[in-house]
Amino acid sequence: MTDTLLGIMHMCIFPGGLFALAIGFLFKGIDRRVEARLQRRVGPPLLQPWIDAAKLLTKETMIPKTACRQAFLLAPVFGFTGMAVCAAFIPIAGVFDGLSNMGDLLVIFYLLPIPAIAIMLGGSASSSPFSAIGFSREMLMMLAYETPLLMILLSVAMLVGKSIAGTWGAEFSLLKIVLWQQENGSLGLNPSMIPAFIAYLIFLPGTMGAIPFDIPEAETEIIEGPLLEYGGPLLALFQITSALKTFVVLGLGVALFFPGVISQWWPINLIWFIVKCLVLMLISLTLVKSATGRFRIDQAFRFYITVPMALALCSLILVWVI
Amino acid sequence: MSLDTMLKKLSVSSPWLFRINAGSCNGCDVELATTACIPRYDVERFGCKYCGSPRHADIVLITGPLTARMRDRVLRVWHDIPEPKVTVAVGVCPISGGVFREGYSIRGPIDRYIPVDVNVPGCPPRPQAILESVVLARSIWLKKLGLEK
Repeated sequence: MTDTLLGIMHMCIFPGGLFALAIGFLFKGIDRRVEARLQRRVGPPLLQPWIDAAKLLTKETMIPKTACRQAFLLAPVFGFTGMAVCAAFIPIAGVFDGLSNMGDLLVIFYLLPIPAIAIMLGGSASSSPFSAIGFSREMLMMLAYETPLLMILLSVAMLVGKSIAGTWGAEFSLLKIVLWQQENGSLGLNPSMIPAFIAYLIFLPGTMGAIPFDIPEAETEIIEGPLLEYGGPLLALFQITSALKTFVVLGLGVALFFPGVISQWWPINLIWFIVKCLVLMLISLTLVKSATGRFRIDQAFRFYITVPMALALCSLILVWVI
Repeated sequence: MSLDTMLKKLSVSSPWLFRINAGSCNGCDVELATTACIPRYDVERFGCKYCGSPRHADIVLITGPLTARMRDRVLRVWHDIPEPKVTVAVGVCPISGGVFREGYSIRGPIDRYIPVDVNVPGCPPRPQAILESVVLARSIWLKKLGLEK
């Protein structure tokens, strides 16, 4: 019983829920600010994502007459729940061990695409032709970036599993992967894992729908795609989901490649974790975003199934050989 | 101060802009685009963002003299924007018809059909004028929310 309560608390307050939301919104604010500064603009205040969410709560909700009402209303809730649960599985080195320690890497892999699925669900339920185009694009993008992610996770799991078991094996416990790295050095500095790390950096803008890969929500061509018909509190929920997802994918990247700790005291470790996430975001999302335009869907698809795929495969083969 | 009032007061700092081209010659549209994009007149510092969907919009910027072909479409899109919304007429065309005034294909001025809150005259208006209109629209939005500034 206490375990259940503790689990719910982890999903709602500390690593998932409120904490992840605060970090996610802070990062989104920093992202917009830094992007503006890189383009020599002033940029919005750091708390802008909070203000946007507050604004959306005061707006009226409009549901299209032809929409499938239940699916339209439930899709954002579905995405939000998936991400709040997923955030509780991210271990923060030296602070929090993750909700479960058995095969949680696989659970995260299955929970990660839920926001994209929620966007597809909501988009197709809203019965707008633009949403339908956005739906098909979102689907293509998901297929394109999930495959390299699987290869990246597999190469990390194989390397750690091989080292722990001594023979062939894969370790799907994220906590064990983190602990192994604290003893044997970060995987991001391991020569055979550097291609996988680069592949993960390329995966990030795709999964976050950031600018070179914001094809499903391209506001200038298909006017926000699946999110077209959403407004008010429902759109705020989508933004909250996106903020949680920022925390999850960055936290996963830090846990997979740089989970080092610098002190025995947990607040320092927490700050160190946040700093590492921030650096990861600035490199892979903000810098790329402020300097590029938008790919076409076929270009993005081809890019994802060639470049990050080849890099991740490279790592997998290196793990196999060494 | 209640939570509702607090949210409403905050909400004015996040005006999302939506552009409707009602048959404009593109001069004002170019001016709007540069106002947002080029560093000198950064509109994002007020928390603004150009959004693609009318459902997300708070401030509507209408350009062009409202041609016969565009009239029904403009009205349809305008009615799709959730309340509270503020309407800004950018350029002299939506205000009076400009050089197209009394043309056979012109159905403007635009306030025959929808209530316009802010007029920004000019052909095209200066970026500073457009920025001022956004700031003015914010205070009108506050009034519409029932919070007099």
